[in-house]
Amino acid sequence: MAEQLGFLLDSRRCVQCHSCQVACKAAHGIEFGVSWRKILDYWEGDFPHVANRAISLSCLHCEHPACVEICPAAAISKRPEDGLVVVDRNECVGCRNCYEACPYGAPQFGADGKMQKCDLCIDRRAAGKQPACVATCPGDALAFGEMGELAKLAAKKHAHRLKGKTDPAAFVALAVANGKPADDIGPFLRALKPQAKKLS
Amino acid sequence: MNTESNGMEKESIDKSSRRDFLVKTAIVGGASALAVAGAAATASLAGKSGGLPGVIHNAAEKIRPAKRPLEKVVPTFCAMCGPSGGCGIYAIVRDGKFVGVEGMKECPINNGRLCAKAHAAPQWVYSEQRLKYPLRRVGKKGEGKFERISWNDALDTIAARLKEQKVEYGPESLAVLSPAHRTYSPYMYRFLTAHGSPNYGHSGICAMQRAFCFSYTLGSSTRPDIRNTKLLVIWAKQPVYAGSSKGAVHELLEAKSKGVKIIAIKPTMEPDVALADIWVPVRPGTDAALALAMLHVVVGEKLYDSAFVEKWTYGFERLEKHVKKYTPEWAEPITGVKAEQIREVARLYATTKPACVDYGNGFEHATSCNDALRAVAILMAISGNLDKPGGDLLGGATGGGGEGRKSFTLRERYTPELVDKLVWPEFPKAFQPMTEGTSSAYYGIFESVLTEKPYPVRAIIAPGTQPTVTTRGTHRVIEALKKLDFYVVVDVTRTADMDYADIVIPVASMYEIDHPFESTGNGIMARNKVIEPLGDYKSDYEFWIDLGVRMGYGKDFWNGSIDECMKEQLAPHKITMAELRANPHGVTFEPMTEKFEKYEQVFSTPSTRLSRAPYLPQGRVAIYNTTFEENGFSPLPEWVEPPESPTATPELLKRYPLVFSDFHTSKVYTAGWLRNVPYLREVMPDPTVQLHPETAKSRGIEHGDWVIVESLYSSMKVRAEVNPGTRRDTVMALHGWWQGCDELNKPGFNLLEGGANANSMYNTRHPQAWDPVVTANSSQTLVQVKKADVQPR
Repeated sequence: MAEQLGFLLDSRRCVQCHSCQVACKAAHGIEFGVSWRKILDYWEGDFPHVANRAISLSCLHCEHPACVEICPAAAISKRPEDGLVVVDRNECVGCRNCYEACPYGAPQFGADGKMQKCDLCIDRRAAGKQPACVATCPGDALAFGEMGELAKLAAKKHAHRLKGKTDPAAFVALAVANGKPADDIGPFLRALKPQAKKLS
Repeated sequence: MNTESNGMEKESIDKSSRRDFLVKTAIVGGASALAVAGAAATASLAGKSGGLPGVIHNAAEKIRPAKRPLEKVVPTFCAMCGPSGGCGIYAIVRDGKFVGVEGMKECPINNGRLCAKAHAAPQWVYSEQRLKYPLRRVGKKGEGKFERISWNDALDTIAARLKEQKVEYGPESLAVLSPAHRTYSPYMYRFLTAHGSPNYGHSGICAMQRAFCFSYTLGSSTRPDIRNTKLLVIWAKQPVYAGSSKGAVHELLEAKSKGVKIIAIKPTMEPDVALADIWVPVRPGTDAALALAMLHVVVGEKLYDSAFVEKWTYGFERLEKHVKKYTPEWAEPITGVKAEQIREVARLYATTKPACVDYGNGFEHATSCNDALRAVAILMAISGNLDKPGGDLLGGATGGGGEGRKSFTLRERYTPELVDKLVWPEFPKAFQPMTEGTSSAYYGIFESVLTEKPYPVRAIIAPGTQPTVTTRGTHRVIEALKKLDFYVVVDVTRTADMDYADIVIPVASMYEIDHPFESTGNGIMARNKVIEPLGDYKSDYEFWIDLGVRMGYGKDFWNGSIDECMKEQLAPHKITMAELRANPHGVTFEPMTEKFEKYEQVFSTPSTRLSRAPYLPQGRVAIYNTTFEENGFSPLPEWVEPPESPTATPELLKRYPLVFSDFHTSKVYTAGWLRNVPYLREVMPDPTVQLHPETAKSRGIEHGDWVIVESLYSSMKVRAEVNPGTRRDTVMALHGWWQGCDELNKPGFNLLEGGANANSMYNTRHPQAWDPVVTANSSQTLVQVKKADVQPR
């Protein structure tokens, strides 16, 4: 496989403006009630010593995607050329097993009952544009690229490779209490997981 | 504790009904988009990544050959915050239909970045809520029955009525309500001046209150030099939501990453507060008490810059005596901020050099508005941060007033007689006109209709503003609209107040016109037409020009030619509109070099009053303000309680134990507009009130529940947004809710009791509802919150 593509998500720079979410919907003409990208909001502490952070999350194009493995119709695949996880909606049977298997709640379902999700803007990038979410972000909280390149950027930004059994293709810089970058992203993700499940 | 910021709507729809819901809404959305556009049926199959917003990607799409239809890209400005210079965009037009936007990297305002609103523009433009043609009311006021009329008929009707009233009641019987500042605002001033009325109805709660207080204290507004500072105080401001792509977010994040210390002063933890090192969770409307206590600390502990105070300020010794009583312990029960924190923040601010204050609109919503702003200006001055790199830079928005050349607003025609006719002066007559021109307080115009004091305004033109949701005292405003002789609404979409209009004027969205040119910060750029107008429209600019001609003011209105109007305005730049348009990213000017410590020059700036006497009679910072004193106002800032508060009216706490106030900016809406846009409504589906978990729990309220918020004057039914970033004694709502969203099956809301209108919750007739100098209107009251008996699904 050529180089895997992925995201860098810098929660320290996310100001919860939801521009990425709406830009994504507009770029892909996504139906009402469905979002491929969500802003997850996380509170810690109690008044007045409160920390509030957010992270913008979509499909993380895992290196070992649980959705691919579990799909009974072989509708989900990992592209050899860039590692993107894509769905063939002609083959999808709408069983939602992928949704149950995904640790990040990425698969979404609209009126036709078939799975839909982030494709890292394959068409936009073919036309020389950045993914819609990355291009619009007022805080430069989102980046994308080949994982090798992203690793260099991550080192500069003190971001960490997101750990997980599916090896998500993402670097994450999180800030928790007092706005200080956290070395241990475990608590955030543990807090994140139940809400990610709640999404659709 | 976890919450998902857009999860509320989902929680309300159980799994079984959810599917049906989506099928229905998606079809409604797609169908309406197609019907309005009149686009070819193939439009929904436009390329693999294309498709209309709201149209489902279906399986068929993938197997059809990708047919890339004719696509064009139009460089222009976003208009989702309203018609004004702003973020540069590339509008994408496919098969004649506006389908999307990309940020313009070359535009220095946004550098390619865009907010959520920008991307939803096509849904707004093609909304069923668009006005389509001019309307004349045929039913009773408030009934909502209209007939279609022609533009000629509409303009003739308005002109005939205004001429009649001018003869019978005098030109001052006409008032024009101001929206937020728009690039058509000067046209409204021009029209009023040509007509002979001073009654430009400025909100009394936005920007000019800051400009006024800073000008009369420091000789000018200030700009925080965030790039070079060591300490940034964000005070009563929302830099993140108020135009997130316009640079404020980037500047804030850069400051943060450089290690600039950030203090945020406001009642709730918003995303910018989350970036701060210190949060001062001040009770709404009590910033003046906090600022006075900070002055007490800085003065009492001698933390001020004595050289600057000595040389450039007037009346410091009186301030010393005056602030003795404002101890942090005095301020603690008023502001709800611990005395210790007030000391900490005051010391840190006064001893960190350089420090700057980014102050916002929140100050302009309190009875003690002028006191708070003057106290902040004095803090800036005595701490030695004025006009220093990294401090608060002088020579901002004020002081010009069009001297030297003919002004667009015709202000050279102002006379004392004209000023004297003001119906409810926004600033006392002795201080009129201010930078933009003469002004009456927006709300006061409605009071004049009801009380007929000093005389009743007879006609109101309301462009891009919705008085029934955007100003306080909704009950009075509606009464006044019922009584008013003649009311004209000018807007792009249906408005909350249009059922009371005699004539409704449909203006083009800014995506459907190719004027005016707008500022890009350090240059100008032409606005370009993205699509042909979808209805029988003129622009806001053309409306005023054409009405001017109908009124017989043609000489002042280029005899009806928008081209001549643009030509005149471009003349100083020595460029024509065609030449400007040939540059897709506009033309840039030589950037001004920043000069510091301009005290001599700025402190002698002539004021905008007719006399042009300087703002600062002593040529020094007016700590002790003799101009205020001469006009019967307190020369030093003082603390004034809002009409209702825990310290002003403790007797009310038993029944109404919580402080209530409202937000004026949001991430996806512009004031009272855009709730009809489905992609934006999905982000904030329902009106909410923000509560602390304990405040909620003690009332049996859970996150997402519908609750009743009740004040002495009105009530709201909204959803509980429970998070720990809120004071336990305070609840906050967002103003501007009235509109439904058909595509998402979201109904509209009542404007009064039981609706979702924060502005109906306040008393505008209370003697302490108004700042006596700048007519800022209190947005604080006391409420009770309880779980609603009926929980809508």
